[in-house]
Amino acid sequence: MHPMNRREAVKTTGVLLGGVLITSAGVLTACTSEAPRAGSRVLSAADQSLIEEIADTLLPTSPTSPGAKAAGVGPIINLLLTDCREPDEQRRVVDGLKQFRDTVGDHFASMSQSDRENWLRRIDAEAKRDGGKHYFPLVRELSLQAYFSSEIGMTKALRYILVPGRWVGCVPLAPGQPAWA
Amino acid sequence: MTAEETRFDAIVVGSGISGGWAAKELCEKGLKTLVLERGRDVKHIRDYPTANLAPWELPHRGFTPRKLIDENPLISKAAGYGEDTAHFFVKDKDHPYVQEKPFDWIRGYQVGGKSLIWGRACQRWSKYEFTAPERHGYGMNWPIGYDDVAPWYTHVERFIGVCGNADHLEAMPDGEYLPPFDFNCVEKHLRDRLLEHYGNRYVVQGRWAHLSKPKEIHLQQGRGTCQARNLCMRGCPFGGYFSSNSSTIPWAAKTGNLTVRPDSVVHSVLFDEVRGKASGVRVIDAKTHAVTDYQARIVFMNASALNTNLILLNSRSKRFPNGLGNDYGLLGKYVCHHDYRASANGRIDGFLDKYFFGRNPTECILVNFRNVGKQEMDFVGGYTTFTGAYRERGTPTTETVGIPFKDAQTHAGPWGIYMYMQGETIPKEANHVRLHESKTDQWGIPLLVTSVGYDDNDDKMIRDWRAEAKAMLEVAGCHNVGTRDNGQAPGLDIHEMGGCRMGSDPKRSMLNNWNQMHACPNVFVTDGACMTSTGNQSPSILYMALTARAVDHAAGELSKQNL
Repeated sequence: MHPMNRREAVKTTGVLLGGVLITSAGVLTACTSEAPRAGSRVLSAADQSLIEEIADTLLPTSPTSPGAKAAGVGPIINLLLTDCREPDEQRRVVDGLKQFRDTVGDHFASMSQSDRENWLRRIDAEAKRDGGKHYFPLVRELSLQAYFSSEIGMTKALRYILVPGRWVGCVPLAPGQPAWA
Repeated sequence: MTAEETRFDAIVVGSGISGGWAAKELCEKGLKTLVLERGRDVKHIRDYPTANLAPWELPHRGFTPRKLIDENPLISKAAGYGEDTAHFFVKDKDHPYVQEKPFDWIRGYQVGGKSLIWGRACQRWSKYEFTAPERHGYGMNWPIGYDDVAPWYTHVERFIGVCGNADHLEAMPDGEYLPPFDFNCVEKHLRDRLLEHYGNRYVVQGRWAHLSKPKEIHLQQGRGTCQARNLCMRGCPFGGYFSSNSSTIPWAAKTGNLTVRPDSVVHSVLFDEVRGKASGVRVIDAKTHAVTDYQARIVFMNASALNTNLILLNSRSKRFPNGLGNDYGLLGKYVCHHDYRASANGRIDGFLDKYFFGRNPTECILVNFRNVGKQEMDFVGGYTTFTGAYRERGTPTTETVGIPFKDAQTHAGPWGIYMYMQGETIPKEANHVRLHESKTDQWGIPLLVTSVGYDDNDDKMIRDWRAEAKAMLEVAGCHNVGTRDNGQAPGLDIHEMGGCRMGSDPKRSMLNNWNQMHACPNVFVTDGACMTSTGNQSPSILYMALTARAVDHAAGELSKQNL
């Protein structure tokens, strides 16, 4: 059973950087509630497009790679939230987006990138003051999961080769070389 | 069905890692062989539906849907279980059992069994592991030693292809290896620091059933070079790692002597009271529930450790009212496993200009250094430690949005080193499996009751391992070092062993030195059920070696008309 165990061993200290550790094992938690009906999604069309705008503000198109919107993260966030997350997390995101609209207004999508970033910085600071149960860290985590598991995220922002063909244990890291997905 | 269609020279129960070997060796010796597999057929490559999918092509990008976990709270705990591999694991509801004590019984019911989803570690046992239990008073001696198995290890290594180094260490003997996978730069550092500091603690390349550089024998199997994809448990379309499906079963089929019957749940081994030996097995068709008896001169039990126990316990006759060969009430007892509860991890500074290429499907091994050849700790037995260094994705940043935040996520981050244990456990009579008195499965076969637990020796070993792992990570220069005991139940190790152990004394063991039942000599048990003790090395290759050795003996006995 060994090699997959490293995933757990790696998580042992649980020290995280600015980056969010993305492992499918990370969402392997028990859940006793019923899954929503097939075909139905937790987020409405409007919420799905709002969360995609938020994700694209966090992870915009840059000179090196397309952003979250180009990667089409909205439907994926909705899918992962619906199928892989606990009901309390689903509620936190739905309620959170309502709260977001109450705070920011309805025109987030049409604001400039810098205005949008300022809003998110404010909300992030609020989440840090608020502690554990704020919706924003969860929105960010879902955004990162959806983006860095997309083809654009894995191959343009990061590097992914389905068939590397060989293993070389120790090579120089070239300046500016993105991480392996 | 005619007698012709139900009569074979040999029957093999199970098509997993040891059953596939039994099939190959028996067929090569010219014996008409029937392999019975309770699950569906899985053909190499054709039946690996996820093997070539990129992460973004999986329905949930590789994140496990809650529904899968809710419906399979037990099996979804298994290492490597996910939406890309779930089809190679059983569903909880289909295969109930009764846990008298918590036990996670991880099963893969299909042709190939768990050989599709195994860990692939192939270290040899040391001579000490065979003798330690008796010498140090925590078990019974094996009827065989390292020298009996060594040529059969070689036999298996050559065919399946094992990569690794010759390290010349007594605690982990060398075999015949293909070139190893490289260390990464931090693993080299770890090896050097531990050796320098302790003098006798060795971090080496593990030995893995991967074709780093295939030889002619592997090409003949239709297998090719491992592509460093590390997607092994989906089934490998390159045949880069060994499985029954990619190797032994098609090889056996080429002889023309093999019949594989999927969807065949073995109910019991049939005993001929007149001739005083097994006559064959009773099979229930998994789908139609039709009952068919198959006859053979010899039967190999390779149903996986606990299922072999279950079938033998359910093989009741006038001669053996308590299960086949069970004259002394030993069957199902002395079940043991490997202890994987503890892991450790730390951050290490530096090496930021170093990286790697590809995805390494192997790990390093920190060779056992406890109680090697002599008793020196407050616990008995030893532990192997798997270890490796990884580089995180994402660098620390104070940015929370926008391009600088995004860029930070895409850089290679700091390095870390992890370790986890594979500890020997003590075979104890109290740790047992038995048949439930009234509950049965959908085929009317009694449910298995598991009663297997940890003991004080395990706790002491875990304490020592955690202290040593922490110390070693700090010696290597790690900070933020943490260790944990996840408290997982026995079974989740997927190294369950014993219940039908080998031994010299028929009153104290079920099998002789050829894995042959003392009381029913035409039945051979060569899967994990035969284990007399657990050692600290990964067991699968030992099952394969013992299987090939037992087939060689059985074929000789058959030709001498002794069976």
